Amino acid sequence: MAALVQIENVRKKFYAQVVLDNLSLEIREGEVFGYIGPNGAGKTTTLKILAGLITKFEGTVRVAGNDVVKDRSKAHAVIGFMPQSCGFQSWRTVQSALDSLAELSGVPEALRKQRIPALLERFKLLDARFKKVKELSGGMTQKLGLIQALLHEPKLLVLDEPLEGLDPPSRNLLKEIIRERQHAGTTVLFSSHILSDVDDVADRIGILNRGTIATSGSIRELVTDFGLPLEVEVDFATTPADPGFLAELGTATERRPGEWRIRLADGTASDPVIHTAIERTLAGGGKIRKIGLVKPDLDDLFAQYIERGHVN
Amino acid sequence: MLRDELIGFAKSKVMIVLWVVLPLIAMAGYLLLPKEITEARGLGGLSATAFVGFLMSSVAGTVAALMVAVDLVSERNRKVYELFVIRPMRREVIIWSKFLAVFACVTVACLVSLGLGIAVDAFRGNAPRGDEYYDIGKSLLSLIGVVALSCSVGVVFGVMSRTILVAVILILYVGQNLTIVPMLPVYLGWLPDHFWLVMLITATMTGLLVLAASVMFRRAEL
Ligand SMILES: Nc1ncnc2c1ncn2[C@@H]1O[C@H](COP(=O)(O)OP(=O)(O)OP(=O)(O)O)[C@@H](O)[C@H]1O
Ligand SMILES: [Mg+2]
Repeated sequence: MAALVQIENVRKKFYAQVVLDNLSLEIREGEVFGYIGPNGAGKTTTLKILAGLITKFEGTVRVAGNDVVKDRSKAHAVIGFMPQSCGFQSWRTVQSALDSLAELSGVPEALRKQRIPALLERFKLLDARFKKVKELSGGMTQKLGLIQALLHEPKLLVLDEPLEGLDPPSRNLLKEIIRERQHAGTTVLFSSHILSDVDDVADRIGILNRGTIATSGSIRELVTDFGLPLEVEVDFATTPADPGFLAELGTATERRPGEWRIRLADGTASDPVIHTAIERTLAGGGKIRKIGLVKPDLDDLFAQYIERGHVN
Repeated sequence: MLRDELIGFAKSKVMIVLWVVLPLIAMAGYLLLPKEITEARGLGGLSATAFVGFLMSSVAGTVAALMVAVDLVSERNRKVYELFVIRPMRREVIIWSKFLAVFACVTVACLVSLGLGIAVDAFRGNAPRGDEYYDIGKSLLSLIGVVALSCSVGVVFGVMSRTILVAVILILYVGQNLTIVPMLPVYLGWLPDHFWLVMLITATMTGLLVLAASVMFRRAEL
């Protein structure tokens, strides 16, 4: 399928600081792309370039074939953007803010009357409909930012840390909405620090670091590509007389009393290690509550990534 | 957009202040003036209409310019425009609506004040006569010209400044002098002292300034 978003050799400087350095990235149509990276990595900068809010940069960025600088309004017609923090005029009520923005996006009145209450309802904001935006809580404002990006049902959703500040039910709701939109053919690009959430919804992730996308691929690919060390977890119901043998199996650490993690050396197979651990525990008079291989998740990946010196 | 801007000023109570509070204060000020000034028959006395006209001409322009600039800077800093300009719209619309909305608000304020002045004069038994109305009309028109020009100066400084303080300083120091520019050719004797000529220069300058602000805003990173 064609790439809906094409970012080619983008370089962006803020004064002397190079924020994006030769960044290239393609996002295919219908894909959900999770964009992660440490604070200050340049995620917001990338998304703002996509949304046409930053226009001075080197390289080319196209959305649905339209250059975001030269064909700004054509690109805008395709995008729904949620900034990291949204501002609304201080006199606006929730209803009037959303209505005006949807109107600017070209949503006809009949549809606005239908979609605004429907989305407010889903985000549990319907009661606050006639409240002033400036009187809303932080999370509620965040939801409003999301709703304004969704109202015109754009082909491309660009969300800058959309899960930040939302309560757990709302986070789930948003993930549900992202999946729904994906089924309807929408492409989603979102940045986040909540890696388990990225893991939940993203088809592909990119880790931005020092101005370039260091790695991008499906989460499973990344985990294997990265060759994360295997870890075995052992929880004792009764700790054996001498748990010192665990250290012989790998780098053992006791995370909580009776709960151990053993990081295996590169190339060690996990099954024999588990077998040995069980035998030695029983021999030492201990009892096992739980034992097994730990599945590395995105947090581990990220931690490893930073640990390996990609971030100085 | 323009409609929204007007609703905004109405909701934020700016309009009430401009249309009700200010004219009333002006009237109160007039009524508190010593009788020697207001009723000095020999020199024609100072009528309420003239007093308000004088007060407005010194205040309305500054108020208008500050209103535009402060509004633009604060909304931009609160990232209000980000959500607008990511939509397929012309950015210039934001500038023109802000300009027109403030211009309309302040012009109405001038009309209300002047109307109140005339009413007070009428109540005291010296309503303006026919030929005086012509002069009042002319000074009203030049007042509106000053307001328009001030609004355009406000738009330019509003787009240029990143902080409210800078915008305010620019307007108070530079803006006030800019509004004298249309009169310069007359003062310097380059052009004949012609009311409509001054109005024409004012209108042209206003248009050019708003246009310049629009271009700057279109190129700006918000
Ligand atoms: N307007 C600006 N002027 C100067 N420097 C800027 C500006 N905007 C961003 N930067 C710098 O660019 C870098 C990247 O910022 P950016 O906001 O893109 O990071 P981010 O990845 O979104 O971080 P976070 O996770 O904290 O949101 C930072 O070092 C920041 O200081
Ligand atoms: Mg950010």
